[in-house]
Amino acid sequence: MSIEKRKLKLGYIPLTDCLPLVAAAELGLFADEGLEVELSREASWSTVRDKLIVGELDGAQLLAPMALSATLGLGGLRKPMVTAFSLGLNGNAITVSNALFAELGLHAEEASPLGAAAALGKVVAQRRERGRQPLVLATVFPFSNHNYLLRYWLAAAGVDAGRDIKLVALPPSQMGANLRLGHIDGFCVGEPWNSCAVAEGHGRCLVTGYEIWQNAPEKVFGVVGDWAMQHPETHAALLRALDRACAWIDDDPLQALPLLHRGEHVDVPIEQLQMPFNGELHVGLGQQRRGRDHFHVFHRFAANFPWRSHACWMVDQMARSGQLPDAVMASNVIAEVWRSDIYRAVFGDSRSLPLHDYKSEGEHHLAWQCEGSRGAVTLGPDRLVDAAVYSPQSSPALA
Amino acid sequence: MLVDDLPARAALLEQALRDQQFEVVARLATAAGLADEVARLEPDVIIIDIDSPDRDTLEHMASLHRDNPRPVVMFAGERETATIERAVRAGVSAYIVDGLNPGRVRTIVDVAIARFREYQALRRELEETRTQLADRKQIDRAKALLMRHRKMSEEAAYKAMRKMAMDRGQRLPEVAANIIDVFDLSEE
Repeated sequence: MSIEKRKLKLGYIPLTDCLPLVAAAELGLFADEGLEVELSREASWSTVRDKLIVGELDGAQLLAPMALSATLGLGGLRKPMVTAFSLGLNGNAITVSNALFAELGLHAEEASPLGAAAALGKVVAQRRERGRQPLVLATVFPFSNHNYLLRYWLAAAGVDAGRDIKLVALPPSQMGANLRLGHIDGFCVGEPWNSCAVAEGHGRCLVTGYEIWQNAPEKVFGVVGDWAMQHPETHAALLRALDRACAWIDDDPLQALPLLHRGEHVDVPIEQLQMPFNGELHVGLGQQRRGRDHFHVFHRFAANFPWRSHACWMVDQMARSGQLPDAVMASNVIAEVWRSDIYRAVFGDSRSLPLHDYKSEGEHHLAWQCEGSRGAVTLGPDRLVDAAVYSPQSSPALA
Repeated sequence: MLVDDLPARAALLEQALRDQQFEVVARLATAAGLADEVARLEPDVIIIDIDSPDRDTLEHMASLHRDNPRPVVMFAGERETATIERAVRAGVSAYIVDGLNPGRVRTIVDVAIARFREYQALRRELEETRTQLADRKQIDRAKALLMRHRKMSEEAAYKAMRKMAMDRGQRLPEVAANIIDVFDLSEE
């Protein structure tokens, strides 16, 4: 069987989790598969989506929920997308301005992530009583786990982000500057942009994404559905190269990060890229260091497996955020977009894969083992901030 | 409303739109408080450079029906796929208030695509001229090195380079670059 297309263009956004694409290109892992890949740095998620749709890009790093929203035609062009590979887990955090951080300190009863959300709820209520403008919090895109994690965290403390807070979207790299200028009071964004804002003194990191949902899905490698159908061998070759890149990165992220810096893919000081991996980021009302486990998982814990239950969770959050028109039957598309079958076909012969495409979330405080095709597969902890158990079987998305 | 970091291109487009009797309410560079300006000016159509990071801000506004009684939607009807494809390739994107006359919208988008394309062609030409110029300089330099160090005539030097290019399947400027490297090394 042969590669259908050798010369490929892949899109990415400057973020720590574009590293699998960058490493596969810079280390020659794509070339090992007979592929000639050009990486294209893009300025917005909207443009990544549009360039994929019109065929200017063959594949791209994609916010996981975008694969669903584009397939459903929510907020833009409708084009069926496919992902058969998750680029990793975790990587987000919430950072607030120094002023809001100080205000939260006055209201907080406990320093936990839930305590911080509760304190934020009190600030919101006080502002409303005093007739002041609502807090402005930024995420990167309406269909993003940044949006859903932020809303989920706030909802756990009884704050309805849609009603009580003004939500805006900004490019990741502009979060820090907007915080400094007082245009926003906080943001939820992927690394390195929390570390950058903290290192430059623009704000304080309040919660890691891991504290809201341990080992949550984040970016995926996405392609257009028709493209996947017409280029099965090329797709498989791309996934093999990305898989090798992810394993290499996970082995020693500190050794891999300079690729982002040197290749001018993510234009920030290397020290800031390294902060979360060195445990140097201080987090929470108590400003304690957080370990590496709070941030990117590139390969271990079956991080690249495209869990259909992750897609279920996202569909539920879309519905919860009022993004799903009643007429849209999102449940029908989950299995068409989240192609665990392709992942299984590519990697099933070489390692043990989870037996099922769906798993529950929130039941494991520690790493655990699920049934696998060739012996048990170790997965990461998966607690949710509100201690809830999420079961895809009872999800409205599958109803 | 036009959002573009290239003032020259934006000015061209503004003139073209005015010629068609459209009013341009604002011309903005990116990252300059776009959300506030949209809320204040309530433009019917926003034409934006596809490489502007502000696009995600607009898409977010479009997703919030609460704040915006006249939501801005991307030019995204099923029938307009071909137009969108032309727009993306020309490097431009459009956001349009719901319920606008489709014919008028099409005219605006077509004008924008045409202007962006023109600019793209101009820029490509400039870049090509620039690389051609750089290539020629490099070839001349390699030629001069051969003439000085190998005591070749100009014609012989050029012939030698062309032979190398054909033997190795390399572009002439690449051969020239190799020659320059070799002489640079030997001079160190």
